[in-house]
Amino acid sequence: MAIQHASHHSSMTGQWIPSTCGMCLHGCGIRVQVVDGVAVKIEGDPTNPDNLGKLCPKGNAGLSRLYDPTRILKPMKRTNPAKGPGIDPGWVEIEWEEAYEIVARELGRVRRDDPRKLLCAIGDFQRIILWGWPAVFGSPNFFTSLGNYCGGSYHPVNGMVDGSFAAINDYAYCNYWIQLGSGDGFSSHLHVSGSTKRMADARMRGMKVVVVDPRCSPAAAKADEWIPIVPGTDRAFVLGMAHVLVHELRRYDRQFLREHTNAPYLVGEDGFFWRDERGRAQVWDLRVDAPRPWNDVPREAMALEGTFQVDGHRLRTGFQVWKDILVDHTPERMAEISTVPASTIRRLAREFVGAAQIGATIEIEGKVYPFRPAALNYYRGAQSHANGLLDNMTYKLFNMLVGNIDVPGGHLGVPLDHRGFFISPGEDGMIKPEPHQLHPIPPFKYPPDSTHLMEWFPIGFDAGQLNAETLLEPERFGLDYQPEVLLLYHSNPLWNMPETDKIEQIMRRMKFIVAIDIHLTESTQWADVFLPDRTYLESTLLNCLEPPVVTGHSLRQPVVEPLGDTRDAYEILTELAERLGFLDDWNDLLNVVCGFVANTTYMLDPDRRYTVEELWDRFARSVYGDDRGLEWFKRHGHAVRYRTPEETYMPYGDLRIPFYFEYVKRVGAQLRQQMEAAGITDWRFDNYVPLPFWKNSPVIEDGERGYDFYAITFKEALHTFADTVVMPWLTEVSEKDPVHQGILINRATAERLGIETGQRIRLVSPAGRIEGRAQVVEGIHPQVVGVSNAITREYVTNPTVRVKGAHFNRLLTGSMRYTDSATGGLESTARVRIEVID
Amino acid sequence: MPKIHVAAIGMARKLVGFSQRTIDFSGETVADLLRALNTVDGRTLYANLVCEGKLRGDYAILVNGMSLTAEQLETRLEGGDEVVTMAILRHLHGG
Ligand code: SF4
Repeated sequence: MAIQHASHHSSMTGQWIPSTCGMCLHGCGIRVQVVDGVAVKIEGDPTNPDNLGKLCPKGNAGLSRLYDPTRILKPMKRTNPAKGPGIDPGWVEIEWEEAYEIVARELGRVRRDDPRKLLCAIGDFQRIILWGWPAVFGSPNFFTSLGNYCGGSYHPVNGMVDGSFAAINDYAYCNYWIQLGSGDGFSSHLHVSGSTKRMADARMRGMKVVVVDPRCSPAAAKADEWIPIVPGTDRAFVLGMAHVLVHELRRYDRQFLREHTNAPYLVGEDGFFWRDERGRAQVWDLRVDAPRPWNDVPREAMALEGTFQVDGHRLRTGFQVWKDILVDHTPERMAEISTVPASTIRRLAREFVGAAQIGATIEIEGKVYPFRPAALNYYRGAQSHANGLLDNMTYKLFNMLVGNIDVPGGHLGVPLDHRGFFISPGEDGMIKPEPHQLHPIPPFKYPPDSTHLMEWFPIGFDAGQLNAETLLEPERFGLDYQPEVLLLYHSNPLWNMPETDKIEQIMRRMKFIVAIDIHLTESTQWADVFLPDRTYLESTLLNCLEPPVVTGHSLRQPVVEPLGDTRDAYEILTELAERLGFLDDWNDLLNVVCGFVANTTYMLDPDRRYTVEELWDRFARSVYGDDRGLEWFKRHGHAVRYRTPEETYMPYGDLRIPFYFEYVKRVGAQLRQQMEAAGITDWRFDNYVPLPFWKNSPVIEDGERGYDFYAITFKEALHTFADTVVMPWLTEVSEKDPVHQGILINRATAERLGIETGQRIRLVSPAGRIEGRAQVVEGIHPQVVGVSNAITREYVTNPTVRVKGAHFNRLLTGSMRYTDSATGGLESTARVRIEVID
Repeated sequence: MPKIHVAAIGMARKLVGFSQRTIDFSGETVADLLRALNTVDGRTLYANLVCEGKLRGDYAILVNGMSLTAEQLETRLEGGDEVVTMAILRHLHGG
């Protein structure tokens, strides 16, 4: 273990050990001070350019996870067969051998019968290489909303646009930043520790920030301007701005759209590209006033706009089709939907396009790039909705209007990991769409294998919320089996999924539940056997996930001897794979997900067991060469560096990105054929569209049923991307902040309803109800109530943490009606009525 | 005779009966290599993995780390090349 002596940062003696924060997925570099075998302090690693020596509150609180007195430190089995909230499981501690023997017996029984009968709730992003364990077991099932809750539509659209996984505005060069429903740079989302510094630096040099959010979030509070909005209507606001750019100001980056997107490709009356007999997409050649294959026409000779008649057919460019759609998306109409005044929509559109400096260039490290220092950034609040695909498309297209995608100052793709953007040539000179980056797209199948219908979402994400509908009404979906065993791996479906009552019903049906975790939760207290994992301060891996400006791995290594009788999750799953007879397939899967297949020197022997250190040593050497194995990382801590301009800006070169999402329409048409052939007639295809527009969501329609208000949940740096609501150090902080003390309600609304701070109120949605104390504030839209995730837990084991029990997800509906029909993204907003209890 | 290093993953491994092996190769293309690899069912890897001249959708082939498309089975091989054949696991979960 590499040791640096304690520095002037602390008066205490001891060792500083480099490692990686594991309190969320992003893996900031840390240094842990260890005195006499006890970890006493965690600091940010100043040599790591990802977090620049900084840590968010969760990272600073890591010691309270390691030394949490309620952690489970020895395997346990339940002795009380009755299960449910508040029922004592009658835990007894057991030896690992007995625990493994029970789990292998129960899992082996179901695997021999039908391996699909295993339901899996998988979490722990940093150990993403372990997520394929259910697949080699033989189960396709995903019983959690993890990932889908925020990224169900976000990740597929990023992957289709430029092969990225996420996106962020360019901290280094952006001058005008519009932010929708996201805490990027302030309190949440991508690598918040380093991002707050980058945001602060950008503000210091004069960048303007406009935050659009139903709530006066930390970002809104610090922005130059906060624009309150009705939840789920951000798309209307942006469509209104697009109308202003295209129809009123007529200012957009024609060169970018013509030369770097498929906006000039001709679209026929059927909505598909107009192709010649060889299948080549056509453009309108301005030199000869006729359609020609895209690759026969110089880019500058393509018509970007126009409607053309060819052999009695009406053809329009892809850009023209959206331009026509935007005609009636006037600021006045979009204002009625979003409540953002039309004058504000016009002003912000004008400011945005002015700041974008269309036509400007910048030289960086000897290379000249387009320079577009205005960009729109967004995340969960703006697009985790039942029409999330349309939301995401809208924001991308709005950025494309000023030509800012993947150029300095603009809106940049963020790769999943060290491999960078997923780039390969697709059809018609386009980048190949990569909607799925975590697993191959499963082919259509009826009856479906997976309980979350993954085979029916060819561009979608794992829509775990659908389990609530499919498992309780299996005949509606043709599901021809019922799961019997549940594996909980660092996941808490009773907390993270909509419709908690239905999830409980499903869990009651399980004949056996095994949990791999570090503590008891709403869900793991239902387990029959609990297998205790190690925390990030006691385990080993290399991490690189969603790095916005850097690339390279950071090492997580044990800084203290593991507490109690715990095992590393990799070792647990490997032991189970061996006992269940699929160690060879497990090693083969690791060969694929670790990338060892790209260089067979490092491939695992299928029949050998490898320690966790051996595995990561191979991984390190396969990526960085034999002179940078695990020992090198133990000495240096990380191999993280800034991404180069070539890796950051238009890394796909001359390949075009999609403006007109014909691919989406085509995939939908193919799915429709497959569905019809299988006799399925009631599936929705409404969101398989090539361009976005406004349409009402089921949440808006619920307003007509007497649910007058919108309910949202929100998270801040204390509790994002993590399970930290049960940690005393952090709850102590959040409990001092009025925002996290009750259900937020606007002052004017509260006065109208006669509600005062501290009064108990009930929120009732079409799906469920929650109760809590009203917290009257100015900083929330008058039609909205806000529920901090800090008050959502219903079960905690640490006696110093209070249960507040306003479990927001009870208000959400997980059915297809509230799910994006193309991506499987869930609706994160609920309509509610407010009832005063006392 | 040129030597080709062959690795097989998942179902492909079970078909050929080995994980990694360096073989003397007298053919010219990836398709030739697949025809030269006998499988436990008495056929060849080509017969198992290829349908109407194209690689089946549930398999992937990498040559020196680069993935081939279903139509690229006529890719030429040279001595020292590494060829990996693997069955695709459909359900690696996402989040
Ligand atoms: S952002 Fe995530 S990885 Fe970084 S310090 Fe916070 S919890 Fe740790």
